[in-house]
Parts: sequence; structure tokens; C-alpha cells
Amino acid sequence: MAPPAPSAYHRLNPLTKAVAATVESLGAFVIGGYLGPLAIIGLAILPAAVLAGVAGRLVRISALLTLPIAISVVLVSVFTRAGATVLFAIGPFDATLEGVDFAGQTLVRLFAISTSIGLFGLTTEPRSFVLDLERRSLSPRFAFVALATLEAVPAMVERSSVIASAQRARGLDTEGSVRARLRGLLPLVGPVILSSLTEVEERSLALEVRAFGRPGRRQLLWRLPDSRLQLIARLLMLAALLAAIAMRVAGTFPRLP
Amino acid sequence: MTQSWVRSIVGIVAFFVVLIVGINLTGSIDFTPDPNTGLIAAGNTLVTVLIVAMLVGLVAYAATEYGQTRRFDSITSQFDTRTIVLIPIAIAINIILGQTVAAVLKVPIYLDSIGTILVGVLAGPIAGALTGALANLIWTYVLPAPFHSDYAAPFFIVAVEIGLVAGIFGRLGFFRSRPNTSIERLAVGGAIVVAIVAIIGIYGFLPFYSGGDITFFAPQAAGAPAPDTLFVILGWVVGVLLVGAVVGLLALLFVRRDLGAAYVFLAGLLCGIVSAVISAPISTVFFGGVTGSGTDLLVATFQKAGSDLGTAVLQQGLLSDPIDKTLTFFVVFAILGALSRRFVARFPQGEKAVGLMEG
Amino acid sequence: MLQLTGVTYRYAGYAKPVLHDVDLRLEDGEIVGLVGPNEAGKSTLCLVASGLAPASIGGDLKGSLTLDGTPAAGLRTHELAARVVVGFQNPNTQRSGIAATVFEEIALGPMNLGLPVAETVARTHEAIARLRLEPLVEHDPQRLSGGQAQLVGIASLLAMRPRHVILDEPTAQLDPAGTRLVGEALRALAEAGTSLLIAEHKTDLLDGLCGRVVVIDGGRIVMDGPTATVFDDPRLHELGVEPPARARLARALVDRGLERSMVTAALAQGLGA
Repeated sequence: MAPPAPSAYHRLNPLTKAVAATVESLGAFVIGGYLGPLAIIGLAILPAAVLAGVAGRLVRISALLTLPIAISVVLVSVFTRAGATVLFAIGPFDATLEGVDFAGQTLVRLFAISTSIGLFGLTTEPRSFVLDLERRSLSPRFAFVALATLEAVPAMVERSSVIASAQRARGLDTEGSVRARLRGLLPLVGPVILSSLTEVEERSLALEVRAFGRPGRRQLLWRLPDSRLQLIARLLMLAALLAAIAMRVAGTFPRLP
Repeated sequence: MTQSWVRSIVGIVAFFVVLIVGINLTGSIDFTPDPNTGLIAAGNTLVTVLIVAMLVGLVAYAATEYGQTRRFDSITSQFDTRTIVLIPIAIAINIILGQTVAAVLKVPIYLDSIGTILVGVLAGPIAGALTGALANLIWTYVLPAPFHSDYAAPFFIVAVEIGLVAGIFGRLGFFRSRPNTSIERLAVGGAIVVAIVAIIGIYGFLPFYSGGDITFFAPQAAGAPAPDTLFVILGWVVGVLLVGAVVGLLALLFVRRDLGAAYVFLAGLLCGIVSAVISAPISTVFFGGVTGSGTDLLVATFQKAGSDLGTAVLQQGLLSDPIDKTLTFFVVFAILGALSRRFVARFPQGEKAVGLMEG
Repeated sequence: MLQLTGVTYRYAGYAKPVLHDVDLRLEDGEIVGLVGPNEAGKSTLCLVASGLAPASIGGDLKGSLTLDGTPAAGLRTHELAARVVVGFQNPNTQRSGIAATVFEEIALGPMNLGLPVAETVARTHEAIARLRLEPLVEHDPQRLSGGQAQLVGIASLLAMRPRHVILDEPTAQLDPAGTRLVGEALRALAEAGTSLLIAEHKTDLLDGLCGRVVVIDGGRIVMDGPTATVFDDPRLHELGVEPPARARLARALVDRGLERSMVTAALAQGLGA
């Protein structure tokens, strides 16, 4: 069903990779500070990425995605956060040490979240993930919604470009200034949304004819490999996360730089 | 009919009981950050309490229904095949509109809940809530680039609330088009809207925003420092926006003669306020209050004025969310008007939402 | 056997019924054609005969639908799906939207029925073979031509192994080769005992395929009889239904004075039975 997976990490069961991503992201900010997220990135995420052969792409993409937020973080935290030690000042805005510290920690945390989820995205076929979940007793209806959304989103984009070409042929302006594009957007949005919606009726009838409404599980054609080792790994990761959360809530978590 | 009111009340009461108990058990809501991690401990617990309260409310509702009718029809009927087919389309609308609008306009108008609200109105609150949750989770965990968003997942709670609110308003008929209303009724409707907005504005907004160094219009106490020009400008901008929105609504009412617009306006406003309250702690806790858009400047400004991060985010949210949600509600109102009656009526809540056909 | 008795059907939210007192019987192994002018109720009849009206779309049904002796009235849509399937014209809406390959698309129906994997695979291969879709098995269902999509849509229905198959304009997007292919597949199905109802404008297709033709107009059955009889009837033209080429040719020859039985024999020999 899927093309041959390039690396051992790719071949891991999708649930394992999903649990890893979740534990890594949540862990990064439960632990907090600098050491925590950096350790997670350095000891868990990057090695896995190198093993999977996607390290370069991962870092590049995550950096790109985190960049716009980074700018805002600097603005919000560095310059306007109340703090005691002022480092320097630009006009009425003081850059405080506390602000820089907070900004640094937030950035590191955001990068951890971005890379952990990015790693999952780069090494997992979304369809396999959903179908594996269905095999683990996720309702076929949930699986349908997830899988159908996977197709619906690109399909709607394609439909928009088809309608856009038709409208361009009729003289509608789609390039140019923001105002022009906005005006061009409106007559596009309407037909795309409406035509997608009106199809729902016939599509649901066609599905019901193919026994979609039947309650109960299906025998799926696919089976993704899983192993005891991975099961244990997943449980251990979740246990570690829960322990960290419990300690954080109880206030007994050690202070880390 | 009374049976379903009883169920809803039980669910809502259960929700609030758990919410209040939960907040009291976990201490007061303290938005000051932990100096070590920048985390706002209370934000975590508030969100957890909200989720638990929601679940308990839902269970209470279902249990009451089971006690009444031995079945869960009002919940399961919201999920017929038509709804299941609609949900992915709704999610796709959310994502594509959300990304396109955010890219084209640089203002905090996201318009990324249109699908959620549509499902809520057509199929029911629980279907809407589920659509919202799935939309955000799928956006982060399932969709590959370029439709992927790393940041959507934690906000699924807000999406759930939006779906619920939209579904409830739909069931109550707030999205019905009421054309050819008499001038008198339009005037009454308009007056009610203005009154409600004024009350919320004067007794809710102004005091909230006037703490610390921000004074918008309040007369200065003797000896108090002059307010920063920045905040005076901000105050005027907010005032103009608010007045402009109300004037716009009144114009819409009298030009289109459709009283439904007033209902939609109020519903959107309420939804926006609730959404702002729920999304503020999530944004603060998970992302340090930052979204990568122009609104971060506002957050920075409020922080400068003395609010802590959590409050600043909330202050920003209460300005942008009601606008976003009201606009979105109107878009959904327009879509519902454009869909054929026959199509809408086949959905579980369609007839209630749009009104029965004449003849 | 599929039996409609005294069926009057009104769509939800509409005042007037679309079907009036319809009686229709489909024996096992029979292929029945359904013709009529536009808006005569052909599509509605297909929906009612499949049980989707009212089970899925609501509405008010008087009279009854019986499937192999069982009344359809209490059945849920998935229970109906195991016995009778209906195919619509638009191949885009027939597609499930969740299959990565044509094989998965066709396998969806049997999988939904909860069948064991081996059975699902067997039925899928069978349907693929019937419509010669082997070359398309690994293709993305979203990237098929209109004709290919229509064939895949029909195969997806056949994979369910239904007792009754109802098709609403199944060859709308097909070229003559595709139409022939579908005709052969349907004939083979009928020989295996499936009953078929085919609503079509292409009377030529029905002429070669059906044993019986039913004509509907204004929601009522106005003609129901053997194919040749119905297609030779001059009333067809008045109703706005174009008779098949064979019938038009026969009429033209008879009008010019040739003897009817000779014309029939000559056409049968020349055009094939």
C-alpha cells in the first residue's frame, strides 16, 4: 500500500511515532527551562531524524515555521515584559533580562514542539496512521472523516483553481493589490463552498448504498507491523510524561536551568 | 419538548457545578507566571477543569436522556451518514479559508470556523463540537504540508466550544432568516441589540481594560498621570469599531428588512466573547501568548501597560474574537441562505435551524 | 424478486407526490429498461426501488417495496445495501473519497459489510474482472477519466454481490466500447440470477440488453411489456422518448410499404438479435 519505507524509523508503527511526538512536545514544556527542551531535541528528536534521514529537512522546515512566531516572541517578551534588570532600551521600550530569558525559553519550547511534530509528519503516511487507528478499534466513521478530509482539502484547492481559471476567462481579476485579490476571492469562495456542500447529498446516498451506515467493525485489508518492544516503548514514554506532569503539578519537579 | 429542555439544563448545571468545584479545589485563578518556566500553572488547571466539566456535562445530559427514553437518540441522530460526509467538507472549508484569509489579510480575522459552525447549525451541537475538535486535531496530526499547522491542536477546546454554541443557537432558531419584518419590529430588534452591546461595553469591557495605566474615556482623577497617547488612540479605535459594527448592523437590518441579522449578530458576539475567554489561557500556556500575527503587538502593548501575560492575551482576544466570530456567523448565515431548503431539511437539525418551508 | 406495489411517493417538504400508484416487478435474472421523458420520475423511481426513499432521504411512501419476500419498510440502509444497490449518473459523487487505489475503492463495499478479508478480496477481483478494470487497479480514483470513473463506480456496486441492481444512466460518460463492456457485464450478471433495472436515454443499449421495457410519464407507468413491443409503439415518440435505431428503421421501412414480418426478420439477421 505504501511505497517502501526508507529507514527503520519510518517503519515504526505510526502510533509509536505519534506517541513519541506528543510526549516530546508536552514534555518540552512540562520540563521547561532551557535544558529540558534542548535535551529532548538533542537526545530524542534529532537522533531519530538523523536515523530517518530527514534531519536537514526537519530543521529547515521547523526553523521556517517558527520564524514568524520568533519575531513576535521577541517583541512581546523581550521588550514589554515587566522585569527588574534592564539590558538596553529602544525608545520607550526596555529590554529586560527577564524578558530575554522568557523569550529564549519560549522559543526553545516552540522549536521542540515544531520539530517533534514535524518529525512525525515527515516519517508517517497519514493514511497509514488513520487506518492503523481503525484497526485498534477507532470507529470506521472517525476514520472516514480523517481520510476524507485528507482528500477533501487538496480537492477543494483544485476545485478553486478550476473555478478561478473559469472566472479569469470571464475577466475576473485575481492578481494585483490586496483589495483586488480580496474582491477576486469573494466570487470564488461562494461557488467552491456551495458546490462542495451540494455534493454532500448524493455522496452520502452513494455511501449508504455501499453499506456505510453499518454499525460494528470492519475487517481491514491492511495491517501495519507492530511489536512488543514498541508497545513497551509507548507505555514507558507515556508513563514518563505522566510522572513529569504529576511532579510539576505537585510542585516537586526539580528546578532546571 | 420539555424533556429536551430538562436534559439540556441538567447538562449545563452539571457543567457549571464541576467548573466551580474544580476552580475552588485547585485554588484561585492566578495568572502570574512561574519565574522558572514561564508557565502559568493555573492556565493548565483551568483548561483541565474546563475539559472535565464539559465531559461531565455531556455524560449528565446523556444519562438523563437514557433515563427518559432508554436511548441516546438526540446524540446519535446528529451523526447520520449525511453529517459524516459533511464533516470532512466542513473541515476542509475551515482549513482552506483559514489559511487563505490569514495569508491575504494581515488582520486577526481568521474565518477558520465556518465549517464547524455550519455543522453545528445543521446537525446539532455535539456534531459541531466534534467537527471543531477533529478539525484542529487533523490539522496538526494528520494533514501533511502545505495544509499542516503545528499550532492548531491545543485550540481544539475552543473549536469544541464554537461548535457547541453554534449548534445551540441553531437549534434555537437564531440563524433563521426573517425577511419582510415590519419596521416596528426591526426598530425593537435594533434597540435591543444596541442596548445589549452598550451594557456589555460599559459594564464589562471598559472596567476590564481600564485597570492600571490604561484609561480610555474615564475622567482623570486629580493627580493621576496622563494616559499614554498609545492607549488613548487604542481606546478611540475600539470605540469606533464598536460603534461602526452596531451602525453597520442597523443599516443591514433596515436595508434587508431581515430581523435574522440581529439574532446572528448577538449570537456571534456571545460566541466571540466566550471563545476569547477560553482561548486566552491556551495561547498563554502553550505558546507564550504569541501567534505570529499583528495582534502580538496589542498583547505587547497591554503587557507594557501593566497586565500580566495571561490578562494581556485575554484583553487582545476580547477585541479580535468577537469581530471574527460575528463575521463568521454572518458568512454562515449567507451560506445557509444560498443552500436549497430541500438540501438543508435533510440534515438532523436543518428544519429547526432554517425554519419550516411555507406551503 | 423486487416488487413495487401501488407506490405513491412524495419528497419531504413538497406538497405533491412525484410517483403515482406505481406497480413494478423485477424477476430474478430479468433485465428491465426504464424510459421516459425528462422529469417523468425515473430517478425517483430508482431511489424508491432501492429503498433509499424513504429510508435515507425521508419523504412519504404509500404502497410497498418488497425484496425477495421481505418488506423493505423496516430495513436500515445498510441492510438494504446487502440486497439492492443503486448507481447514479455522476461518477464524481459515486467515489468514496477515501480510497488510495481503484482496488481499495471497489473493495470498500464488501469491507463495509464486515466480510472477512479473503472474501472481500475475492469479490473485488470478481468485479474487476467483470468490467476488465485490471489495468486500472493501482490508479488513484481521483485521477480517472469520466468513463473510467463510471466503470469503477459500477464495479464498486457489483462487488457487493447484490440480488438487485438499479442503474440510473450508467453509460452517460462511456464511449461505445465502454457501453458494450457494461452491457456484457450486466448480461452476465443477469444470467447468474441478479435482477436489473436500468434507466436510460440510450434506447439502443436497452434494445440489445433488456427483455422488458417500462415507460414512465408524469410519475405513472404508462407502458410495460416486451422490449420489441414497447419500442415499436408509436406512442413512444409522442412521449418524447426516442426509440432505438432498429425500431426507427423498421418503422421507416414499413411506412414505405415493406411487409412488417420481413422487415423484422431482415433486421434481426442484419443487426443481430
